[in-house]
Amino acid sequence: MKHLKPANAKAAEFTRAAEEGREAEVQLMETMVGCTATLDPGWEVDAFGGVAALCQPMEADLYGCADPCWWPAQVADTLNTYPDWNAKAPAAQRDWRKLQSVFPDESS
Amino acid sequence: MTMIARMSAALLVSLAVGLAGAAQSFAKDFIVTGVKPDKLVVVDTAARKVVNTFTIPKAAPGPVTITASPDGKIAYVIVNRWESVSGIDLATGKQVFRANLSGGDMRVKAMFGMDVSPDGKQLAVYESPVKLMPGEYQVQPTRISFYDTATSKRIRSIPVPRQITIIMFSKDGSKLYGMGRALYVLNPQDGTVIKRHETQKWTRANFAPPDILDVWSQWEQANTFSTPYYTARTDKKPDDPTAYWTGILTLDLASGEFKLKDVENTDVFYFSTVVSPTNKNHVFGVYNQLAKLDVAQGKSIKRVDLEHSYYDINISSDGKEVYVGGTMSDIGVYSAETLKKIGTIKMPAGANMAISSMRVIQR
Repeated sequence: MKHLKPANAKAAEFTRAAEEGREAEVQLMETMVGCTATLDPGWEVDAFGGVAALCQPMEADLYGCADPCWWPAQVADTLNTYPDWNAKAPAAQRDWRKLQSVFPDESS
Repeated sequence: MTMIARMSAALLVSLAVGLAGAAQSFAKDFIVTGVKPDKLVVVDTAARKVVNTFTIPKAAPGPVTITASPDGKIAYVIVNRWESVSGIDLATGKQVFRANLSGGDMRVKAMFGMDVSPDGKQLAVYESPVKLMPGEYQVQPTRISFYDTATSKRIRSIPVPRQITIIMFSKDGSKLYGMGRALYVLNPQDGTVIKRHETQKWTRANFAPPDILDVWSQWEQANTFSTPYYTARTDKKPDDPTAYWTGILTLDLASGEFKLKDVENTDVFYFSTVVSPTNKNHVFGVYNQLAKLDVAQGKSIKRVDLEHSYYDINISSDGKEVYVGGTMSDIGVYSAETLKKIGTIKMPAGANMAISSMRVIQR
């Protein structure tokens, strides 16, 4: 192992785990570890294929959906990774301009 | 005794009776709800105003399920990215209970379901644990954990089916109901499934399995759980609007009686419903509209458009006022008889209620 250097994050995890005798716990993930696995309609279209049955206005649904991680990746994951994403914006309809895009932490 | 003496004595007696009656005056309704990022809000419904705003320690991004102790003195709230439960004394605002669910390599989320035992001594929390290992997340079996409300300590946990979002004690505390892929009747001592009331696996001829989405705990006024379901006739064409049906599921927490009743052709959705405490055949539903539904006759009585979407709905103890809440920054007050809007209660600092519960207590 001493002549091999980890070339990506997974390899680095394996190296760390090997030092602790836990190599078997480092596995190739087969699924995206993201915010949500739900794909039911709710933002782009409603169940009828239109928009009349979506939340009105859209901001009424923003935190009720973002905080429980309802959509795949459209909004930041406040449940785990970005808990402070809407900390300075407690009212979506008033404070939406304060919401920022988020980017992966390159150090991790 | 002289006439005047008799009259004075009678006056004194009636005064005493009157004073005693005043001392036993009926408890008032208060709404308890939450706003982002960390506030517990108490509303005097008659005065139509917020009377207390308490800060819940370490609660961000926001409060979720709220359940009140049977005496209405403490509100238990899921907070802290759903990894903690805080109990707030509603007289002082002090945190008198705190259970932090995660620890070590276990991350535990309280996924909506929570209820307090009828004797107020135990808090039941539906938990989804995951083990965080170096290279993978290992999903653990779901469970309901019971916490001692006096000490905040976990007493025991029982294994229960996955995907349960609402848990409710029966009125006598002997059973725990769980709304998930079925409505489970559970033994709270060991998690044994005593009975399943089938929903997703129902065997209704010519009806598709129903869709149920319920993350709103709000059954206390009628002591009857209710939730809408959506289904479709499989003996009709998919593009036939009359194929689609909305129904209401009810569960009487005292008797255990479980009912499903279709009420209307689906043309709008309701996120959540509440049963009237004064007429259990009347159920109110909310989302973009407020509707009054008759679950005995299976029909819609009345429906009005709302000013914006709401998630939560609750009702006054006298059955006369319906409260709509959740999502944005106001609670709407509507006449239960006419569905006319009769009031608005604004949340402090205009903050959103989002996914917080809206419960009614008496004190």
